Amino acid sequence: MQVFVQTLVGGLGFGAIYALVAMGFSIVYRTMGLVNFAHGDIVMIGAFIAATAFMSSRLPFALAVLIAIVLTAAIGLVIERVLRPLEHRDLDLMLIGTIGFGILLEAIATLIWGATGRAVRTPVGASPIKIAGIYVQPYDLLIIALAAAAAAGVWYLLTRTKTGAAMQAVAADYEAATAVGINAGRSNAMAFAIGAGLAALAGSLAGPVLYVNESLGATIGISGFAAAILGGFGNIPGAIVGGLAFGLLSGFSAGYFHGSSDLVTFVAFAIVVMIRPTGIFGESTVNRA
Amino acid sequence: MKRRLVLIAATLAAAYVLPYRLSAYPMQVVDIALIFALLAIGLHLTLGIAGQINLAQVACFGVSAYTTALLTTHAGLGFWPAAVLGVLAALAAGLIAGIPALRVQSHYLGIVSLGLAIAFLGLVSNSTLTGGSDGVSGIPAPSAFGLDLSSNYLYYYLEALVLFAGICFAAFLTRTRLGRRMRAMRDDQLAAASIGAEVPYLRIIAFALGGLYGGLAGALYAGLIGFVAPASVSISVMFFVLAMVMIGGRHSLAGSVVGALVLTAARELLLNAAAYAQLGYGLLVVATVIAAPDGLAGLPGKAVPALRRRGGAAGGGVARYVPQPVPDQPDHRGTVTALQAEGITRRFRGVTALHDVSLTVRAGDIYGIVGPNGSGKTTLFNVISGLHPPERGRVTVFGRDVTGARPQKISRLGVARTFQNLRLFHRLDTRDNILAACDRTRTRWSWRYLLWPAGVVRGERELRAAAAGILGRYGLTGVSRLIPSSLPYGTQRRIEIARAMAAQPRLLLLDEPAAGLNPSEIGELAGIIRDIRRDGVTVVLIEHNMGLVMSLCDRVIVFDAGRVIAEGPPEAVANDAAVVSAYLGDSNLFDAPSEVGDNDARQ
Repeated sequence: MQVFVQTLVGGLGFGAIYALVAMGFSIVYRTMGLVNFAHGDIVMIGAFIAATAFMSSRLPFALAVLIAIVLTAAIGLVIERVLRPLEHRDLDLMLIGTIGFGILLEAIATLIWGATGRAVRTPVGASPIKIAGIYVQPYDLLIIALAAAAAAGVWYLLTRTKTGAAMQAVAADYEAATAVGINAGRSNAMAFAIGAGLAALAGSLAGPVLYVNESLGATIGISGFAAAILGGFGNIPGAIVGGLAFGLLSGFSAGYFHGSSDLVTFVAFAIVVMIRPTGIFGESTVNRA
Repeated sequence: MKRRLVLIAATLAAAYVLPYRLSAYPMQVVDIALIFALLAIGLHLTLGIAGQINLAQVACFGVSAYTTALLTTHAGLGFWPAAVLGVLAALAAGLIAGIPALRVQSHYLGIVSLGLAIAFLGLVSNSTLTGGSDGVSGIPAPSAFGLDLSSNYLYYYLEALVLFAGICFAAFLTRTRLGRRMRAMRDDQLAAASIGAEVPYLRIIAFALGGLYGGLAGALYAGLIGFVAPASVSISVMFFVLAMVMIGGRHSLAGSVVGALVLTAARELLLNAAAYAQLGYGLLVVATVIAAPDGLAGLPGKAVPALRRRGGAAGGGVARYVPQPVPDQPDHRGTVTALQAEGITRRFRGVTALHDVSLTVRAGDIYGIVGPNGSGKTTLFNVISGLHPPERGRVTVFGRDVTGARPQKISRLGVARTFQNLRLFHRLDTRDNILAACDRTRTRWSWRYLLWPAGVVRGERELRAAAAGILGRYGLTGVSRLIPSSLPYGTQRRIEIARAMAAQPRLLLLDEPAAGLNPSEIGELAGIIRDIRRDGVTVVLIEHNMGLVMSLCDRVIVFDAGRVIAEGPPEAVANDAAVVSAYLGDSNLFDAPSEVGDNDARQ
């Protein structure tokens, strides 16, 4: 029971990080139909910035996270601006463009932070606390709480603000939205910036539970992507459910399969994708002739 | 052609003398570069030719390298049998990586394939069998015909031989029917399916090809280095190969190979500044997608627009369509039913695009479908041709139930179509567009590529003869080697009809064929449609140009808001009260000048 609940909470903690990454993927995808392959590397950059600010510059954790979010949002804006000529024209090419940016960001990270990683200490104390007779890591609870807050923020932005409404409109029909005077470029930029901000939040939160190095982006990015697909790509609630599901899946498979847990997780994922390619909440995409 | 042969001969001669000019270390770099060239060809075929984003190719490379390594060191097999099994294992891995392609589309495919590559990496890094992060060492170098290939100089010739064969096979494949179908699928998978290409199988084959080339590269790598570790099959290797193909030019075989050679050499020169090298090729990839999507291979054409015109293209242009001399006989319609739709209903989220629509088309008729924009006409075509399965109802074509069948199956049953917004294969020239449709074989025909290439060559000759006939008949011979998008809009419409007819249909669906045509082109179109009917093909026509509908059609059906509001001979329908009111009281509907569909105004 104890082990089960600990795995559960740990899995949910990782799941919350994956959910943040998946939300970042989804918000860009739903707005412009693009899968941002540089997303994982933005997570990694965010993690490095937060780790440096928190550990080396000794800033408070919250401030370190904030700095990471702002800086990576700026990176998101740059990527969107550079790739803008391809928007709504050639998505496959744009996708490869984001892979190019991923390569670039990884190189930049190596140049700035070197090949060795950073170990980040927990900001809230490492001793487990006891809730209802079960010991849990307080940091896992912090991750879950922050991810929930971020999800609520994104939900509020998309459904309750004018900017969000514009982004929804561009997502629904690019040409119609442009015709009624919505600046689609700005909406896309906004989506990229928010996506990058979410990535940075995920990366900074992952710092204390994982080791921050240049391959962090690949591991978390892939899991977050898988989570987004699991929930239905582009669907924000789906991203959250998918993220949590993926966190639990890899948490429990790590418990049972140890070294080959990656394989088990991805085989399970591949099977799900083959049975239901549009994910749990995804709408079937319609080919227009 | 002669210049190309000279170029090939010079390249071969240079490749032959190269080792005499190199010292040991550069020789090793060249050996590695050739292995990357094989990988690049594989990615060129999957990504550039078939349009599938396959990031699992590095896993196929790894499967082959590890299989060769383990079989030689643990199972005591010789290098050659181990290498053959390695390549087969990689081929199988490619097939497995391609299975998701049966169901999911490009983006998902990219990530699923990357996920598989990462899973493979996790497996070999953690398994004790593969030596964990230490990898497997002590792979014996092969020998052949008494030659010890542990010398990098001799190994070079082995690699060069494999690469040469690989290049020849890739070029052969691309220029013949399997490759042509893949290119058609890459350009427009809906249109490809509508002319009978079995898109899911083609995708799988594309992945298998990636696996094959990855496998060859992997076995050669194991033999060359004698050591395999997770670092040699990492994701960054995959991205490196992707960069080679993108920068060299993913659509170009030569470009991909050159990209591989140049990037490997550049990486070697910048070995002491690896991060800067990575920065450089990341920047190059971004610059390529923005400024030169066809990579290095596309630059000459960009710099000198005249080069884009291929030989023989200058002549002619489009010839006027000459109608068949035999007069139209009104009495060739039989009693056979060509197309029957019963109670078709199709919704898109909240919108009911088609509500309980039924119609019957007799064989030999020209049947018109009219109605305001958004009344469900094109949706009906999409239902009939298999792009959108209906929620309710039944479609039969010449008595065969095709409800919910895939487009490629419906195409094989003799249904061809054109599209409202033109869906030509935009990177294929006019002749290749026609050739792709002339090809009526199933995908399984392609076993000949492996076992009986002469059969492919013979089949190609027959296809070309058939295509020449179609091109001639539709007056397109003069533009056969031009890219459709470089031609006038009216010509593109005619190419699309020619492509549909190249598939030898019994039932032809034309979606607004007159949209965007000038009056003389519309006159020619009427002649084309009459001739098509005279050849025994039933025609269903969606059209806003009422003059054309009234003069051509034997029967007309009128749609409004997804429902049928009238059906019958054109004169009767034109005077139907419901029809008149559906057009908002426009009593002069059938005298109105031809209208241009809103979709064409955007072009």
